[in-house]
Amino acid sequence: MPASENRPFCACSTPGGVSGIAVIRMSGKGSFEVAGKVFRILRAAGDVKDISSMEGYTAALARAFDPETGNTVDDCVITVFRAPHSYTGDDMVEISCHGGVAVKQELIRILTENGARAALPGEFTKTAFLNGKLDLTEAEAVMNVIASDSERALRASNTQLGGALKRELNEAEDKLYEALSKIEMMVEFPEHDDTPENTREVLDIITKVRETFISLRDSYKKGKVLSERMKVALCGLPNSGKSSLLNSLTGYDRAIVTEVAGTTRDTLEVEVNVNGIPVTLIDTAGIRETDDRIEAMGVERAREASFESDLVLYLAAPDMPSDEMTGQIRDLIAGGVDKGSMAVVFSKSDLGTNSSSEKIMSECRAMGIESFISVSSVDRIYLEELKNFITDRYENLGGTASSETILINKRHALLIEESVGYLDMGIDAIENDMGLDAASSVLRLALDKTGEITGKSVSSELVDNIFSRFCIGK
Amino acid sequence: MFTPEDALKKENTYIAGTYDVAVVGAGHAGCEAAHACARLGLDTILFTLQLDSLANLPCNPSIGGTSKGQLVREVDALGGIMGKIADKCAIQTRMLNSSKGPAVHSPRAQMDRSMYSVTMKHYLENTDNLTIKQAHITSLLTKGDKEVTGVMSSTGAIYLCKACVICSGTYMEAKTFLGEVINESGPDGLPRSVGLSASLKELGIPMLRFKTGTPVRVNKKSVDFSKMQRQDGETDIPPFSFENEMNGYTVPSEQVPCWSVWTTDETRTVISENMHRSPLYSGVIEGVGPRYCPSIEDKFMRFKDKSRHQIFVEPMGLNTNEMYLQGFSTSLPEEVQEKMVRSLPGLSEAVIQRNAYAIEYDLVDPLSLKATLESKTVTGLFTAGQINGSSGYEEAAAQGIIAGINAAMKVLGKEPVVIDRSRGYIGVLIDDLVTKGTNEPYRMMTSRAEYRLFLRQDNADQRLTPTGYKTGLISEERYEKFMSKMKDIEEETERLRKTYISPSEELKKILESIGSVCPVSGISLAELLKRPKITYDMLEPVDKDRRPLGRDVIFAVETDLKYEGYLKLEKEKIEKFKELENKELPSDIDYGAISGLRLEARQKLDRIRPENVGRASRISGVSPADIAVLLVYLEAYRKRRPKEGSET
Repeated sequence: MPASENRPFCACSTPGGVSGIAVIRMSGKGSFEVAGKVFRILRAAGDVKDISSMEGYTAALARAFDPETGNTVDDCVITVFRAPHSYTGDDMVEISCHGGVAVKQELIRILTENGARAALPGEFTKTAFLNGKLDLTEAEAVMNVIASDSERALRASNTQLGGALKRELNEAEDKLYEALSKIEMMVEFPEHDDTPENTREVLDIITKVRETFISLRDSYKKGKVLSERMKVALCGLPNSGKSSLLNSLTGYDRAIVTEVAGTTRDTLEVEVNVNGIPVTLIDTAGIRETDDRIEAMGVERAREASFESDLVLYLAAPDMPSDEMTGQIRDLIAGGVDKGSMAVVFSKSDLGTNSSSEKIMSECRAMGIESFISVSSVDRIYLEELKNFITDRYENLGGTASSETILINKRHALLIEESVGYLDMGIDAIENDMGLDAASSVLRLALDKTGEITGKSVSSELVDNIFSRFCIGK
Repeated sequence: MFTPEDALKKENTYIAGTYDVAVVGAGHAGCEAAHACARLGLDTILFTLQLDSLANLPCNPSIGGTSKGQLVREVDALGGIMGKIADKCAIQTRMLNSSKGPAVHSPRAQMDRSMYSVTMKHYLENTDNLTIKQAHITSLLTKGDKEVTGVMSSTGAIYLCKACVICSGTYMEAKTFLGEVINESGPDGLPRSVGLSASLKELGIPMLRFKTGTPVRVNKKSVDFSKMQRQDGETDIPPFSFENEMNGYTVPSEQVPCWSVWTTDETRTVISENMHRSPLYSGVIEGVGPRYCPSIEDKFMRFKDKSRHQIFVEPMGLNTNEMYLQGFSTSLPEEVQEKMVRSLPGLSEAVIQRNAYAIEYDLVDPLSLKATLESKTVTGLFTAGQINGSSGYEEAAAQGIIAGINAAMKVLGKEPVVIDRSRGYIGVLIDDLVTKGTNEPYRMMTSRAEYRLFLRQDNADQRLTPTGYKTGLISEERYEKFMSKMKDIEEETERLRKTYISPSEELKKILESIGSVCPVSGISLAELLKRPKITYDMLEPVDKDRRPLGRDVIFAVETDLKYEGYLKLEKEKIEKFKELENKELPSDIDYGAISGLRLEARQKLDRIRPENVGRASRISGVSPADIAVLLVYLEAYRKRRPKEGSET
């Protein structure tokens, strides 16, 4: 028996659960032999009788059976890809079977008993990478495509997959190389009067690249939402209408709502899709001062949830004491909630105008809060306004990032952040006459960091980190 | 290929002697190699084609310069001799880049050319265990094409040896070009080396052919210096040799000036009208020339947007009128050279004493070498200097000392000495040559060093003297002095960190003079030094407890403190570098089977077979993506090994 690593590997590439059809993929040398044992061709182009003689990019209707018992499992469509013209670059078979859980399990069992093995997490993409089919950035983007669960996230991943990020970074790198070569000219040929002595030019280049990196870095605030969802916290006094607002937001959208176990039994998190943006709504416990120890803990957690959110909606109902409400808003801001990401929502507007709304608004404006909305959980028009508000908020995350490219990957964001740090040091070194040698040293470090994204530099941890995060099947 | 026994059967051959190490060629590489071997107690013989041209400076009459100055300091730190001889023969000294940060400070000195040669010769003549012999070595003697056993001269003399270091410079099968006139000659009209190259080729060593060139020399009497820019030396800089520095030696106080001029429109016209007569452009020269030291016609051809180029006029010595025109190397014909020179300001009446010429020579492909500079296929055969594809005296000396040390280690049966890229320019130079190879004469440049802030000229002793001592090239006495310098540096750094001074009028005055703000509370001297523009000397009035220290100690302390933040980052980078350097590549790895590698990478890796991933990453044609593939493959390889063992 060959070493297990040399056997073809297989996995189901469509999500778990029941679906109309499912796709099982098998890759590696011997895939056709394994498939040949398990499938009998019923109909194929050119009257081909066995899988091994099928041409690449052709399909066949085939019956899967267990060679041991002879029992039929399912009728499937088999597509054959021949190396190197496949996703992984090796021989591949794609099996479209019926989507029942039992069918899938049975097929994988039979395949693995007949010479294949189960794929490791990320193994398809890792193999594609090893065969030179994808570079590291593309491989990472594939992972993000798989993990993304909204249209916008998919678009951002696809931009990266198409290499937009790489293009933008390549341009920045070229500029840094230009700055470096100017420095090197000055340093290497000091006797020559005709070398550029103009450190100003170098400084200008670095400053411009820094701006690009800053906007890229900031775009991650938006990108993070794409890969990790936008967090919207609903706060307010008990009975200010948080839960009903939550229900109407989820119900109206008819999104598949999964109740994620909240971080505590005191906050409830609901995942919802707002105009294509993946949002986690956090229904916090009503905030109020309390002597009850357990309730106090819940309230504390509610506060924490607000601090970690991208948007905090403070609900003010018409019949509630305005001083208490503005006091709480003040506490939240004092406690660290960004006033720019806070909005006051006048809830239950169907019950009549909020008599104290003017007073609350003027006090909140004094605190620097600019956003006020009226909603009624029974009136769809109001709800639409709130949803648009959330969308706007999302668009403004990460400031007015000029770059088209949005960073969706935390590793990238961290590397860019480090790069910015080095550029700052370089600017500092030049401005303070610390020497061109120090400046060039940190510029090179900045390039090393971007190189880890563009694949121009490589560290030993990098490769493992990337592939260990892949889910199975891709 | 002959064994000594075969050679003896030929007519007129005889055994002339038995040595531990034979060094062929007494240029800057050969002198260092022979000196190192002899100092390490080995019976050594050094051959030269012409004794009066030992350690010749056939091109620039100067030693040092950007990155080259660092190399000279490193060679000295290891126990080499170039720096010491250069200190004795300097007639003008400068520290280049003194305004651009300590990492790129580069010492450079004009030499009295003939004095350098004579001084080196005399020094080596007085070195124990060393025999110097004028002879033309024409072939290598080996056992089974695999192991060096001796060398044979044109007179049939056989010298048996256990290891051989070949430092043939630009002499092997050399041809010089002066316009249409081609001579089978070495540099400066010296005899060329014939036969040795063929002998290497027969051993299966891959050979290349390069070209380089040198400019004209004019008589000082015929030069009008009033039309030139004067460039004086600096007398307040350290000598090349750390040993000299510790012994209180200073650079000469009386120095001679250099001069510079710019080419004129007429220069350009003369060159373009005669371009067809350049052997470079008519295709007569086959060898590849250097990009970094191009001939003047090359400069005009390649940089068409530049209307003029700078030329330096440098003295060749104190007892000669010859002046060297740096930047004016050419292979155009003699009469064109005269027109070209006379088109330069101040040189309209110039009398040319020696013509410029291009020279073409055979060399070994450095990819066939180990990092010890020993051949990968022939045991005991070492090469150093221009034969390995480098250019420059300092690059040659750096390889010479490493080849010499390793030849000696081989004979003594000891561990080889390899300097990695994080420890010296020497390491960068050799690693570049043996892993990347070169397709033009390789010139050292500071930008080739990744860890430049560490690889400074001032700390070369800190980096390499312990290695020199362990190897046996540094005397006890020198090492003790070195250790006491280290102690001074450490103690003074500690003192500066621990000494806090309170704000005072005096401090305020110092700080305000450079536009810095006086702190409101106490601050350590070390913190003050980290501020831009503040120097150790400046703080004297507020630093009452300071004791007198050497200038070298102060410079080291000051630099390491001032650049602490940057150095820390570079140190982290070095650690990362070592990580890849420590990932060994198994010798049985089948690169052909790793399909993720691009074809070029697969072929290069298979041919060069690097010892570790770090080295693989520096091979040209191997991209970071290939390295990523290798890393993933290695992981799988490691996992698979034990499994395969248990399954079979």
